[in-house]
Amino acid sequence: MVKIGVYVCHCGENIAGVVDVKAVKEFAEKLPGVTVAREYLFMCSDPGQELIKKDIQEGLVDRVVVAACTPRTHEPIFRKALEAAGLNKYLFEMANIRDQCSWAHPHDKEGATEKAKQLVASAVAKAALLEPLEDKFVDVERSALVIGGGVAGMFSALELANMGYKVYLVEKEPSIGGKMIMLDKTFPTNDCSACILTPIMVEVGTHPNIELLTYSEVEEVEGFIGNFTVKVRKKQTYVDWDKCTGCGACIDVCPSTARVPDEFNQGLNKRGAIYIPFPQAVPKKAVVDIEACNNCAGRKIGTEPKKTKSGKPLLAPCERACPTGACDRSIAWNPEGEVVELKVGTIIVATGYRVMDKEHFKEYAPDSPNVLTALQLERLISATGPTEGKLVRPSDGEKPKVISFISCVGSRDERYHTYCSRVCCMYMLKQARLIKEKYPDVEIYMHFMDVRTPGKDFDEYYTYARQLGIKIIRGKVGGIEKLPGDRLRVMGFDVDLGKPIEVDADLVVLATAIELPEDAKELARKLSISMDAAGFFKELHPKLKPVETSVEGIYLAGCCQGPKDIPDTVAQAKAAAAAAAVPLSVGKVKVEPLISEVNAEKCSGCGVCVPLCPYDAIKLVDVDGEPRAQIDITQCKGCGVCAAACPSKAIKLYGFTDEQIFAQIRALTVGLQQQ
Amino acid sequence: MVVTVNLTKMEENPIPEIIKFGGEGIVKCIQCGACASVCPLSLAGMPLYNKKLFKMLLSGYFEEIIEDPSPWACVACNRCVEICPRDVKPFQVIFAFRRIQVREFAMPMNVLGGMKNLYEKGHAVFSEAAEIRKKVGLPEMPPSTLAYPEALKEVQTLLKNSEVAKLGVIPMS
Repeated sequence: MVKIGVYVCHCGENIAGVVDVKAVKEFAEKLPGVTVAREYLFMCSDPGQELIKKDIQEGLVDRVVVAACTPRTHEPIFRKALEAAGLNKYLFEMANIRDQCSWAHPHDKEGATEKAKQLVASAVAKAALLEPLEDKFVDVERSALVIGGGVAGMFSALELANMGYKVYLVEKEPSIGGKMIMLDKTFPTNDCSACILTPIMVEVGTHPNIELLTYSEVEEVEGFIGNFTVKVRKKQTYVDWDKCTGCGACIDVCPSTARVPDEFNQGLNKRGAIYIPFPQAVPKKAVVDIEACNNCAGRKIGTEPKKTKSGKPLLAPCERACPTGACDRSIAWNPEGEVVELKVGTIIVATGYRVMDKEHFKEYAPDSPNVLTALQLERLISATGPTEGKLVRPSDGEKPKVISFISCVGSRDERYHTYCSRVCCMYMLKQARLIKEKYPDVEIYMHFMDVRTPGKDFDEYYTYARQLGIKIIRGKVGGIEKLPGDRLRVMGFDVDLGKPIEVDADLVVLATAIELPEDAKELARKLSISMDAAGFFKELHPKLKPVETSVEGIYLAGCCQGPKDIPDTVAQAKAAAAAAAVPLSVGKVKVEPLISEVNAEKCSGCGVCVPLCPYDAIKLVDVDGEPRAQIDITQCKGCGVCAAACPSKAIKLYGFTDEQIFAQIRALTVGLQQQ
Repeated sequence: MVVTVNLTKMEENPIPEIIKFGGEGIVKCIQCGACASVCPLSLAGMPLYNKKLFKMLLSGYFEEIIEDPSPWACVACNRCVEICPRDVKPFQVIFAFRRIQVREFAMPMNVLGGMKNLYEKGHAVFSEAAEIRKKVGLPEMPPSTLAYPEALKEVQTLLKNSEVAKLGVIPMS
């Protein structure tokens, strides 16, 4: 005979304001199997939990029903209370008489009270049939994978590596550094971006616990928290990175016919087919972009060179220039690269962002060479950029006399992205200040809808920009007309003057929106994580779980989760590393027992359950020469689809057995049966 | 003289009527000024140009602006609708205001000329363009009531059954 204790919670006024708690308690006292029924103001509080523990320890109850709020938030608390009192924590059932009762029927006190009684009767009927269950534990692989080698990925990797864990850092470009290494200076200190980032890049590149896989992409992810199996494709570089010293001799000789727009310089100049992305690259190794390659001297990959009349081999210019033989086109490099398999415990996604292309904004004369995105301007004023930092108009190489900056291009806009990209106000002010400080005679106009400078020292940065004589106008720009000489007429509005204005500019800079690239969707699919309505990877809770995702063991860091500046990115990267380290340090992952199990004796091997499982947890295995279904306990989430579908009733879903559910139905329909 | 406006003492709220007449986007306006930077009304210096009109309405002005002829200069060029980042559809708000102005008999008198033309000939704005049309190889009359006079009956029937007919501002025999 079971001894069921029923505890009805007032939940302050949340439940008691609608449901007659006393009446529910009195009703519960009369239910079959109930030995104790109590009511209390806040069952989740310490004294509330003490009520339960005391009854258990005095032997009055051995099954517990709490009629209160939602198990989603409070089931763990009550299970802990049972455990502390020495009772198996799975001998616990919750009746939700708040979200599903008092909150749903706030104006029908009588009806809500009746419903609460029925919900309690149902929970009691199930509690009578609960069995003690045990948690299972699986060992955790004590290593982590960080996807993305920008500032977020690097800081996550360093935190984990410094804690002593092995970290694989996968980056799709040939070098780590992300967007931050493309910047000239960073606000609000105006530190040289490369100067503060390269020491971090070198630390990542030389850390004994970090294995760097650049020019690589994640192909497939399988498994679960503590035991992920990840296939990573190391793309083909066509250069032997064991021999390459990054001397750069090859990139100088790649002919102009093989030049393509340089992605690092945002298309402002060209790079050769063989290239090193930038001078401070980590690792500093050359890569051949095989689509752009001309195969000079007929040097197809994997072929022996033709010979000259005198018998000398006819090599491509890059092969000839290479002092170490790293660039060797005779080797039959596999164009598919190499797929490696990694086993890791947790994964951090730090894949960053891209900026919108100016092509989308036909009202802003995007085909003019002197209309640039802010990232293009950043490359233009960078010492490692296409003009070595000289500010010139792309059309004629002359110094611009008048520059217009336009904010919110594609952001805060129903036609493109409704969100604010968060960093543009500050970086526009930064770019304006850098230019004005270097070239005081340049006239700078900045067109803002609003000026958003919320961080530490940010508003002071804005005040200083005004003091330099940079003209700041509140009013969104409606269009840009082209003038002769590749000049541009910016048609704006001055909200404070209340008049339309125009600026005849030599250069126009558009602060285009931050967004995620197309392949982000594909990565989300591979990881089974969600994306939010704005198109960024979705965190588990907007307030309280900023780095977790809906998949346990996978975390987010940086702009891939939402637009943010470098200080916030680094903070989130460290937070993600701390969260990702928890399973690694505990060393074990708990598997809840509320999952399905196949009774091999009853199973007929029909295989109906196998394709139905949404988590691919069921396989047919050989048992004494017959196929029988088997459920992987690490994959099963206890959804119950297989148990419901099995024609032989061979599958049991612990915690939601057929007997328990029928008992609940019978309890709920008692009144109807009597009718 | 103090020019301060006491917002709590504003008596009117014209917004529900604007919404009723098709200008529901007005509540989304953040006064960014993009529409005003390209609107012919604004560029021509009309006092109650689009952005200004929306701000006045949102602030509770009605009597002070109801007789302003500025909204009647709108040529429906659609630049405002294309450029607005909040999907306000400024053009629709201007037209909603025009509808209220007609109902209040506060429109400029030359509007009546246009409405008369619309009823009598099927076009509000009229110009003798037959010669130019012939020169560029188009039929002399556009494919409207001018080319199909029998369609005028349909236009007149529509107008006779519209809200405008109830106002009696133009003869509709």
